[in-house]
Amino acid sequence: MIQLQHISKWVTQGGSRIFLLKDINLEIQEGQFISIMGPSGSGKSTLLNVIGMLDQPDEGDYNFMGQEVFKLKEKQRSAIYKSHIGFVFQAYHLIDELTVYENIETPLLYQDVKQSERKALVADMLDKFNIVGKKDLFPSQLSGGQQQLVGIARALIASPKLILADEPTGNLNSKQGEEIMELFKQLNDEGVTIIQATHSEKNAAYGSRTIHMLDARIEL
Amino acid sequence: MFTNHIKLAFRNLRRNKVFSFINITGLAMGIAAFLLLLEYISLEQSVNKFHANLPSMYRLINESPDGKTWPEVEPGWAMQARQRYPEIKEYCRFEEGIAQGIVTKNDNSNTSYRESGIGYADGNFFNLFSFSLLNGNATDLEKPNTVYLSASTVKKYFGKENAIGKTLVLNNQFGKAVYTVSGVYEDMKENSDIRYDMVFSLETLKDPANLNSNDWAAPDNLNSQYINTFFLLNKNSDVAALEKKLNTLRDELKKDKDGVRFRLQAFSNVHLGTSLGDSYPTTGNLKYIYVLGGISLLILVIAWFNYVNLSTANSFKRAGEVGVRKVIGASRSNLVLQFMGESLLINLLGFLFAIVLILLLQPLFNKLVDKPLSLQTITSSTLWIYGLLLLMLGSIFSGGYTAFVLSGFKPLDILKGKVSKTSKGIFLRRSLVVSQFVISIALIIATLTIFGQLRFMQNKNLGLNTSELLVLRGPEVGKDSTYKNRKEAFINTLASKSFVQDYCVSGSVPGNFYSFVTGGFTQPASKKGDELKNYSFAIISDRFLKTYGIPLVAGRNFTAQECAVEWNDNSKVLMNEQAIRQLGFKNPEEALHVNVQWDERPLQIIGVVKDYHHLGVQHAIDPVIFYPQNTSSYYTVRLSPGNTPEKIASLEKAYKESFAGNPFEYFFEDEKYDKLYASEKQYGHIFTTASIWAIFIACLGLFGLASFTVESRVKEIGVRKVLGAGVGSIVTLLSKDLLRLVLIAFIIASPIAWYFMHKWLQDFAYHINVGWWSFLLAGSIAILIALATVGFRAMKAALANPVKSLRTE
Repeated sequence: MIQLQHISKWVTQGGSRIFLLKDINLEIQEGQFISIMGPSGSGKSTLLNVIGMLDQPDEGDYNFMGQEVFKLKEKQRSAIYKSHIGFVFQAYHLIDELTVYENIETPLLYQDVKQSERKALVADMLDKFNIVGKKDLFPSQLSGGQQQLVGIARALIASPKLILADEPTGNLNSKQGEEIMELFKQLNDEGVTIIQATHSEKNAAYGSRTIHMLDARIEL
Repeated sequence: MFTNHIKLAFRNLRRNKVFSFINITGLAMGIAAFLLLLEYISLEQSVNKFHANLPSMYRLINESPDGKTWPEVEPGWAMQARQRYPEIKEYCRFEEGIAQGIVTKNDNSNTSYRESGIGYADGNFFNLFSFSLLNGNATDLEKPNTVYLSASTVKKYFGKENAIGKTLVLNNQFGKAVYTVSGVYEDMKENSDIRYDMVFSLETLKDPANLNSNDWAAPDNLNSQYINTFFLLNKNSDVAALEKKLNTLRDELKKDKDGVRFRLQAFSNVHLGTSLGDSYPTTGNLKYIYVLGGISLLILVIAWFNYVNLSTANSFKRAGEVGVRKVIGASRSNLVLQFMGESLLINLLGFLFAIVLILLLQPLFNKLVDKPLSLQTITSSTLWIYGLLLLMLGSIFSGGYTAFVLSGFKPLDILKGKVSKTSKGIFLRRSLVVSQFVISIALIIATLTIFGQLRFMQNKNLGLNTSELLVLRGPEVGKDSTYKNRKEAFINTLASKSFVQDYCVSGSVPGNFYSFVTGGFTQPASKKGDELKNYSFAIISDRFLKTYGIPLVAGRNFTAQECAVEWNDNSKVLMNEQAIRQLGFKNPEEALHVNVQWDERPLQIIGVVKDYHHLGVQHAIDPVIFYPQNTSSYYTVRLSPGNTPEKIASLEKAYKESFAGNPFEYFFEDEKYDKLYASEKQYGHIFTTASIWAIFIACLGLFGLASFTVESRVKEIGVRKVLGAGVGSIVTLLSKDLLRLVLIAFIIASPIAWYFMHKWLQDFAYHINVGWWSFLLAGSIAILIALATVGFRAMKAALANPVKSLRTE
């Protein structure tokens, strides 16, 4: 599903290069649950952003489901991630002005899904995550764990093949964190590919494969 | 999707209350100002447009060799031209100045009023011009001694009675004549330059018996210029060729070669003219329209700038949302549409509030511009389309720019927290604030200058003493054989009153134009062409100069005997210094006892009057010739101070006793002069209102900006306070930036304001210079207001507990 070859990214500071990513080579098959571990600043988030097409490296090739991502135009690229990738953030990044229902619905709006279909999909999702009763609340009225549930529901609404989660439990207590990880596991069992960045050994253990990063490199 | 955007826009408005309030209030105020002035412009633009014959009608006007133009021509030309030139289908002449007098109901009721809005017109007046007749036949005006009344005049004289067939008596300079009411027309309104309360048949004046030996007014003469002449031309007539033919005709028939040329002015240009440079006489004021239009646009622009400023400053708040939306699949066009929707909603709300504001403020505004305006005024002209288009374009541009900025954030930057402060568009934002304050400061300077000039004019020494000077209008009715005795009796009564310090009769009074203006004067040393120069005539009695406190600089005053002689037997005149200069004398002494020629008549200069302002200070002092007569168009009385109402009542009693049937009308000289500055006062009030309006909107924006600056620097303020910064230093820190912008605005506004105000002042014969103090004051006002606005917000931030702002979640 994903092939990264010789991916490097750097910033120039005082004449010398500081690498954010250095010669990353990585292959991920569909259906895997990958955990990326490493200390702060080791490049986990940058790698996730590159995979999620939010960021571009200075060097290297990226093949996503048979397409050379960096050779595509901006529009085509955004079309790919719109339909195939869902993001989950540490800080949830829900839209404060929207209700739970509307937050989950928004990605469908941008994919021009019909209203009746949207209703059905969002209802399903609310049901699946057991948050039907909270659908008219605003994010500020929810606990962190509930907010992250909504964040995941939103990431899943367009049925993506790949979920990218950057420290999804970072702002949660351990019980909430466990629930979220159980949910990821369950999603993975249903066939969704998941890549998560995490500090926690325990969370990493939910994955089928763990990648360690240090100083912008993958440690083998 | 659309309903979603609207819903979201509403939520955003509610969430950011300060922001929404400032934006909507500012826009509402801007749009309201724009629409109010659009009403005014619509009315001015619609004047005369209702006449069906408008496109083929032309006004005959005169142009002197030095380029001056005026619409009063000799009455004889119309018929002469009509007989010769087939392109002239019809002509219509009318006059309003000469008919003024007292109108009395021809029964025992003694109902009588002095009427000034009345005139004589040709018989086809109601056919050629599209005034709707409510009653009567349009053609009856062709008969002598007929009169048509406006609906409200009918009410005034006859109440609910049917006026047709009733008779009215007109007493004026042509003596006393009885007229039969033959028609009633709908009141002529503000949208018409021709506005009569009564139209008398000009045909009446064809009978010499009705002229009271005023031969100059004979409707076929080619000597006295007093009448308006309109031609209705056949389709496709060559106007330029006709103009040429008319001039040839003038040269052929006119005896004295005065160098005056005929011009034909399209009726459609009579009100506003074709451009600012149009030299033809107009009844409206195009410059005024441009000034008002300009101000309204500037205010609107300030409001839009507010919107752009606040929205982009607010963008760091919205950046998170933009980032998330982009990550979950929003394209830029999705976001642009969303933000455009928001801006349209705000503009729409602003528009609705503007309508409410207009409904509330309409009476005040109408008083300010002295016109009966309403929103219907706009919709009844074609201007509303342009107005609406402009409003839409403005909101699309202001909203479009904001949407463009907001949708441009890179999602990764936002998610990484890079866009915590808005550096984006900071230059633009600063420029907009500067422009807003340039406009505001320039308006304040203009206001101060206008009031400075007004005060200057009101305080300028007029050269006469107006205090406690009461002027009574002389009688028109009842000039029979007993009149002379009654007049003497009245004067004796005046003289006997203890509170009358001085009194006189005269043909004209200061502040109220002259008796007439004429040329034809030469002195022995005059050159050829000097006879074309004009002199203003003031008919005065021997007591006039003393009563008004006007000194002589040489020679002597008239004696009572000299004032009592018949008009044509008089051989003595006084002149003011300006007249002496215009005649070519070096000093008053040189002019004394010289005989000047008035056409064939010699007149001896027996004295020179010190120059005084007979008209307002806007005008240079005219050359004036004082002619001795006991004409009693006016009685002037200087009262002793105090108890004025009682004294006036006592005068009224005496007046009624001597001149029964005449209305008792009076005015005070100082008030009369003050009224001469009405248009400058109006200008002043309009500018005051506009500048308050503008600076208020600009400060709303400034307050909003200050709020956002404070919000985005909350952490910094907290850190500084922890490190020991005092309130003063924090307020300075926060205010410095915005104040610097106001200062820059002041520097830009000053030369612009100076240029325009300097030009405006040149219209006045006596004027102040644009004073440095007005700049200083305007700058201080702007800076003080800005400081108060920003300081309030900054103070609040500086006093806040830093623990709150530094606490992390």
